[in-house]
Amino acid sequence: MAEPRGGTERGPQGGPEGKPTSATGFEKGAGPAGEPILEVSGLVKHYPLTRGILIRKQIGSVKAVDGVDFALGRGETLGIVGESGCGKSTVAKMLVHLEKPTAGVIRYKGQDITRLSGKALKAVRRNIQMVFQDPYTSLNPRMTVGDIIGEPFEIHPEVAPKGDRRRRVQDLLDVVGLNPEYVNRYPHQFSGGQRQRIGIARGLALRPEVIVADEPVSALDVSVQAQVINLMDRLRTEFDLAFVFIAHDLSIVRHISDRVGVMYLGRIVEIGTDTQIYDHPTHPYTQALLSAVPVPDPAARANRERIILTGDVPSPTNIPSGCRFRTRCWKARARCAEEVPLLAVPEVFREAGGPAAHDSACHFAEEKQVVP
Amino acid sequence: MLLDVHDLHVEFHTRDGVARAVNGVSYGVDEGETLAVLGESGSGKSVTAQAIMGILDVPPGRITGGEVIFKGRDLLPLKEEQRRKVRGAEMAMIFQDALSSLNPVLSVGDQLGEMFTVHRGMSKKDARAKAVELMDRVRIPAARERVRQYPHQFSGGMRQRIMIAMALALEPALIIADEPTTALDVTVQAQVMELLAELQREYRMGLILITHDLGVVADVADRIAVMYAGRIVESAPVHDIYKAPAHPYTRGLLDSIPRLDQKGRELYAIKGLPPNLMDIPPGCAFHPRCPMARDVCRTDEPPLYEVTESETDRGSACHFWRECLHG
Repeated sequence: MAEPRGGTERGPQGGPEGKPTSATGFEKGAGPAGEPILEVSGLVKHYPLTRGILIRKQIGSVKAVDGVDFALGRGETLGIVGESGCGKSTVAKMLVHLEKPTAGVIRYKGQDITRLSGKALKAVRRNIQMVFQDPYTSLNPRMTVGDIIGEPFEIHPEVAPKGDRRRRVQDLLDVVGLNPEYVNRYPHQFSGGQRQRIGIARGLALRPEVIVADEPVSALDVSVQAQVINLMDRLRTEFDLAFVFIAHDLSIVRHISDRVGVMYLGRIVEIGTDTQIYDHPTHPYTQALLSAVPVPDPAARANRERIILTGDVPSPTNIPSGCRFRTRCWKARARCAEEVPLLAVPEVFREAGGPAAHDSACHFAEEKQVVP
Repeated sequence: MLLDVHDLHVEFHTRDGVARAVNGVSYGVDEGETLAVLGESGSGKSVTAQAIMGILDVPPGRITGGEVIFKGRDLLPLKEEQRRKVRGAEMAMIFQDALSSLNPVLSVGDQLGEMFTVHRGMSKKDARAKAVELMDRVRIPAARERVRQYPHQFSGGMRQRIMIAMALALEPALIIADEPTTALDVTVQAQVMELLAELQREYRMGLILITHDLGVVADVADRIAVMYAGRIVESAPVHDIYKAPAHPYTRGLLDSIPRLDQKGRELYAIKGLPPNLMDIPPGCAFHPRCPMARDVCRTDEPPLYEVTESETDRGSACHFWRECLHG
């Protein structure tokens, strides 16, 4: 699906937001075939806001996701970062069909899977699995670990014949570093980190090609976090998995991702390789975000420039016109209120190339080094 | 020394047994100083703070030993009535979750004003004016209008500012902030930490910052106390500890966090899990997870050794702190 998608379905505003050049920064990690395994274009999710009990009237909508495009290569890890309410989790849910997009297209290996249902959906779902944030609520407390990890086989019996399931579950426990003899225990008998391993084992059960992980380590203690991150790193190579890794912790995302997309108020504002985003950010929001992250090095305290943003993120029911970041941006000018900046390589960098030449949705994109 | 905690012990009596949450913690804070207490969940960092503030749930909690010397007098033998006079006026606490710490059915103005009507006997009108002044102080825009609003009408960052305003209200000498920015987004976290640090400098308060975030600590702390299984395992000025930790647990923590400024290879992972407080391992509590552990670690509990090679005041509860420091 390498065809340019200029002027295809856009957000509800329609209009001139179609993207003319380089769609998703999809260069690295595309694999030999160069064809992405998962591709998302113009993804939109609006939740209606209603008033009244008998006569329901729609008075607006929460624009949780408002036009997101990206592509994921085979075996690649794409990190998506953003603050709470930016829509990153809603994107994750749409990828695994837990939410229906309002508009836009999700393609898996070139096939449009957005509106699949029944058998066809079931077949695709096998290949795209999810790992959830909260290891405490995402496992059924009344099921044994064996049943939890084996449940995918009940739904997709073709993957493992009945007699073989117990062995498979034990293999999976072994793969994620848990004792295979724990198969009859219940979730409450495990620590947070061990439960997250169980969640990962369940995600792996059907041998998917894509795993969508939504904040998989944010509920864990620091010393346990590293164990789970290392596990995911290992599995990614071992099973040749493509990962969509969603998190708010920029340090963890850098560690695990090949490419990184930064979201703000329902849109990706900048996307590129980890070096492009962390060492050569060009969007002011990315720069502010990076400069705000505390670095565990007291020596860096003195000579580090901090960009402290004023105010809070605007409500997704009432998104600012033009550039959605302009209300908090120190560079905002008249043009920013009128014209929506497109996610493309900014003109200033287009000719020169180099690491600053990556997709950034800012009219006044400038390179600025903020990470010490 | 403004606050001197000495050999504090706290236990919790539960149906399953006795959890030894704090096992001989000693630390001190001077005025104008920021002490970061670093630890994972269950390390006893919050329980220590609750004991200092006198807000420990008793029962199931019980202070079984130690002293909390604040401005020269031990607070622990004081009656609840006397404790209450100290709390708020002389020492105040900021909690992680502002939404559940604020009363949802009272306006923020009423809650801020209450500090002055109760502790200072001010009239309601004067207290309201004070509330507006405080909200200005913590840079809440349009304070005069917003003073009438309720907690749910504020964003997370703004609510945390209100908590800070409330803690500052009576200009206490000591503030204990328990994970004050953990629930906030990074950009808002930076705003709130900067505000807190600035106000602390202005009022010359002592600040105890309880956190699990090594980044936040590096940003604001003067000294660090690292806690594990209810004990302090390392205590040092902030620069020293990041340069060369003298305890394997501290070293493990520093090595296990991914860095923003580096694309690391595999992370170092401390093996195993934090101990069960009902069944703390004998000897050094960290020995089952320690890469340096030897026989003596399994039997002898290490005291907080003075790190004599350092020019600054450092301590490490490791028999082999020398090796760790140079390793």
